[in-house]
Amino acid sequence: MPSVDIASPAVPRAMPRVSGLWVLLALLAIMALLPFVASPYVLLLMLPFMGYGIALLGFNLLFGTTGLLSFGHAMFLGIGAYTAAALTSKFGVKSFELLLLAAALGSGLVSIVTGLLCVRYTRIFFGMLTLAFGMLFHSFLFKFYAVTGGDQGMRVLRPLLLGMEWRGGKTAFLTGPFYYYSLVLFALLGLAMWRITQSPFGLHLKAIRENAGKAAYVGVQIFRMRLAAFVISAVYGGIGGTILAVTTGLADPELAYWTHSGNLVFMAVLGGSGTFAGPAIGALVFVLLQDFVMSLTQYWRFVMGGVLVLLVVFLPQGLSGAVSLLFNRRNGGR
Amino acid sequence: MTELVDVILGGTFHAAVLFLVAAGLQLVFGVQKLVNLACGSFYALGAYFGITAVGLALKLGLPPLLFFPVLILAGLAIGLVGLPIERVLRTIYRRDESYQLLLTFGFLLMFQDVFRYIWGATPRTMDNVYLVYGTANVLGVRVPTYNLLVIAASIAIAVGLGYFLERTKTGRIVRATAENRDMAEGLGVNASKIFALVFTVGCMLGTVGGALVVPSGAASLDMAVELVVESFAVVVIGGLGSMRGAIVGALIVGLMRAASISLMPEMEMLSVYLVVVLVLIVRPAGLFGKATA
Amino acid sequence: MQPNRAAAPNAEPLFETINVTKSYGPFTALRDISFAVSDGEFVSIVGPNGAGKTTLVNVVTGLLRPTVGEVRFLGQDIAGVGPVELARRGMSRAFQLVNIFPALTVRETLAVAVASRLRRIANPFRSLWRDSVLQADIERVAEVLGLRGKLDTVASTLSQGEKKLLDIASAFALNPTVILLDEPTSGVSTGDKHAIMEVLVTAAKAAGVRAIVQVEHDMDLVERYSHRIVALQGGAMLADMPPDAFFKDPAMIAAVVGTRPQSKKAH
Repeated sequence: MPSVDIASPAVPRAMPRVSGLWVLLALLAIMALLPFVASPYVLLLMLPFMGYGIALLGFNLLFGTTGLLSFGHAMFLGIGAYTAAALTSKFGVKSFELLLLAAALGSGLVSIVTGLLCVRYTRIFFGMLTLAFGMLFHSFLFKFYAVTGGDQGMRVLRPLLLGMEWRGGKTAFLTGPFYYYSLVLFALLGLAMWRITQSPFGLHLKAIRENAGKAAYVGVQIFRMRLAAFVISAVYGGIGGTILAVTTGLADPELAYWTHSGNLVFMAVLGGSGTFAGPAIGALVFVLLQDFVMSLTQYWRFVMGGVLVLLVVFLPQGLSGAVSLLFNRRNGGR
Repeated sequence: MTELVDVILGGTFHAAVLFLVAAGLQLVFGVQKLVNLACGSFYALGAYFGITAVGLALKLGLPPLLFFPVLILAGLAIGLVGLPIERVLRTIYRRDESYQLLLTFGFLLMFQDVFRYIWGATPRTMDNVYLVYGTANVLGVRVPTYNLLVIAASIAIAVGLGYFLERTKTGRIVRATAENRDMAEGLGVNASKIFALVFTVGCMLGTVGGALVVPSGAASLDMAVELVVESFAVVVIGGLGSMRGAIVGALIVGLMRAASISLMPEMEMLSVYLVVVLVLIVRPAGLFGKATA
Repeated sequence: MQPNRAAAPNAEPLFETINVTKSYGPFTALRDISFAVSDGEFVSIVGPNGAGKTTLVNVVTGLLRPTVGEVRFLGQDIAGVGPVELARRGMSRAFQLVNIFPALTVRETLAVAVASRLRRIANPFRSLWRDSVLQADIERVAEVLGLRGKLDTVASTLSQGEKKLLDIASAFALNPTVILLDEPTSGVSTGDKHAIMEVLVTAAKAAGVRAIVQVEHDMDLVERYSHRIVALQGGAMLADMPPDAFFKDPAMIAAVVGTRPQSKKAH
C-alpha cells in the first residue's frame, strides 16, 4: 500500500543543506530590526510567535525527525507556564533565568516519567497515550483549584531579566527588553537544535523515523533515542510555554488542553514538518493568520479549520513544500 | 445502597450515550483505519439539531409524548452530513495517519463555529419534555423514565449493529473490507461505497448519541471537544476497533465518572485518564484489542 | 577468503547453534538444529519455503529466543540479546527484502552504522559532517562496496541492485566479525546477483569479516561461493556438508529445491 510519509521532504535535497539554519537566522535577523519599524501591536504578536517557535523546534525533533506524533505536547507548554506562575506569584522568584531553568527542569523531569511509558508505542498509540497524559495534566490544573487556581489560572508576574528590574509600562517591557531577550533565546535554541539535527545523534533519530526495524540492526538504540528526543522536545516546550506565560501574564489550563496540542501539530504541518525551519515558520504564519482572521470575523475557528483541511488535502508538505516546488519548477524540475 | 444504585444508573445512562459515539469511532477505525477527531462534533451536532427538531415538532402540534422518536429520527437525519465529509476524507485514506488526525481536527474546528453561528455561544436546552414519561422507581431510587429509555435504545442499537455486522451480507462485506481492503476489492467489492456507508453509519451513531443525551442536559460548544477525549478514553480502554471493547470501555468510563462525581468531584475526569494510562501500560492494545501495538 | 580447514578442528568455532529448537505453541518451526561456523567459512543455509530458514536466522541474530538450546557467538550465549547488542558484539545482518532508510542518502545510511560503532551518539551537539574519522570510514565502506559514486544519492532513488548493496554495506559498516545475509540477492536480476556476490566476497575479505552465513535459493550461487551447506527441511537439519558432496546427491537436491532447472526458473 503506497503511503506518503508526513515527515519526509517532498523533494529531498532540492535545496542546499544549510538552508534550514539560514532561513531561521534570516527570519530572526528581520525580527531584530522589527522594533525600529513595526508598531507595538505587531511586536506583541511576535512574542507568542517566539514562544511557539521555540516549542515547535522541539516538537519537530519528535515529529519531523523521529516520526512520533504527539497529541499532548501542550502539556509541556503548560508546565512551563505554570512553573513561571508558581515561582513568580507564590514563591517570589523573579529571575527569568531561574524561571527558564525551572521550566526546563520541570518539563524535562515530567517527560522522562511520561516518556518511559509513551515511547514504547508508535503511531496512533503514541498519539493517544500522549493525549491521555496531556488531559490528565489538564484536569489536574482545572480541578485542583487550591493549587492551580482552576479555570481562573495563575498570574505570572513580570520577571527580572539578567537580574535587572525593568520599570515602565507592560507594553514597553514586552516589546523592548523582553522582546530582545526572547529573540536571543530563540536564536540560541535554534542553533542548538540545528546542531542536534546535524549530529550523529540526530541522524539516529532520522533512522528510527525511516525504518526502526533496520535501525536496530545497525546499532541504533531505539527506546533510548526516542526517549531522548521526547525529553529534548519537552524542554523546548517548557521554555516556549514560559515565554507565552510572561507575555500574557497568565498561566491557564487551556494551555494544556488537547486542542492546543492540535494547534501545535497544525503549525508544524503548516510550515512543513520535513524541514528544519518549517515548523517555526508555521508558528509565525499561524499566529499572524489567526490574528488577522480574528480581526475580520468572530468565526475565525471556521476559517482556521478550513485552512487546515485545504492544507492537508492539497499541500501536505506545508509552506516549505510549496516553496521547494516553486523553486524546482523555476529550475526546470529536478 | 441508594447511593450505589444512583451511581450505577447515572453511570449507565452516560455509558449508553458514550457507547454510541465510541461505536461510531470504532466502526470507522476498524474499516477505514481512521481515527476521527470530529466524532465529538457529530455528537454536538446531534444535540443541537435534536433541540431544533423537537422544538419544531412541538410547535407543529405533535404530542410531547412523541418527542423520543422525533429525537432518534432527527439524529439519523442529520447524520447524513457524514456523506459529504467522507468525500473529503477519501482523498487521504492512503496517507499517513497524522494527516487523517489533522484533517478531522480541521473539521472539528469548523464545526465549532457552525454551531456558534446557528445556535449561538450560550448553551441551549430543550423545551421541557425530559420528564413527560415520568419517573420510575428502581430499587428505591427515582430516575427519569427517559434515562431508562435511552439505555434501552442504546442496547437495541448495539444488538442491531451486531446483527448487521455478523449476520447480514452487507455486514460481512464490511468486515471483509475491514480485514483487507485490497483483497475485498479484488473480489468485486466496491470499497468506496462501503467506506461511505460505514462513515455515515458511524456519524449517525454519534448524532443519535448527541440527540439522546440533550434532553437531560444542554447542548454547548464545549461538548464536542470534551466528548472527543472521553470517547478516546473509551476506545483506548476497550481496544481500538473492537465493538465489545466499546461497550465495556463505555461502562467503565461512565461508571468511573459517576462514582467520582459522587465521591470525589475533583477526580471526575482525572480518574478516567488514570484508568486510560493504566490500561495502556498493562494492556497496550486495550482490553479487547488485537495485540498490534 | 579460503576456509581455514587445517585450523578448524582445534579452534573454537566463531559461532554455533547447539540443539536449537523453536516452537510456537504446538507448531515447531525448528527442531534440534546444531551447526558451527569457523573462521574463514562461507556457509549457505538452504531449504524449501517454510523449512525454517528465516526463523533460524532470526534465532541466530538474537531476535527470537530459542525454546530450547543455545546460540553461541565468540564463546558467549547470545540467545535473545536483541539486535543492538548483537551489532555491538560483531554480528551484523542484511535482509531478504530491500531494507533501507528511504529518505536518507547513502552517506547518511552508512553514517548511522559507523556512528554506532564509533560511539558518536552520547553528545547530541557533535557534528556529523566535520568528523573526519567518521567520514573517512564511511568512504572506505562505500569504496569497498562500489557505492562511492552514489554517496550523496537518496536511498529511495537507487536502483534495486544498489539498494541491496546499500543494505549489505550498512551491515559491513559495523565492521562485523560475522555477517548474516538473508537472501542477499533475492529480487534482483541474474546478472546483478553475481555482481553483488562478487562485491560481497571481495568486501568481506577487505573488511576483515571472518565468516559469512547466508540463506540463499539460487543454487548456482550456493555452489559457486559456499564452503559448506546446511540444508533444512520441515524445521529439521537435513544435511551439513561441503557443496561438492551436496550437489552430487540428487536426492538431496530434490529435497531442497526439486530438480535444478526448476530452481532456476523459480528465482
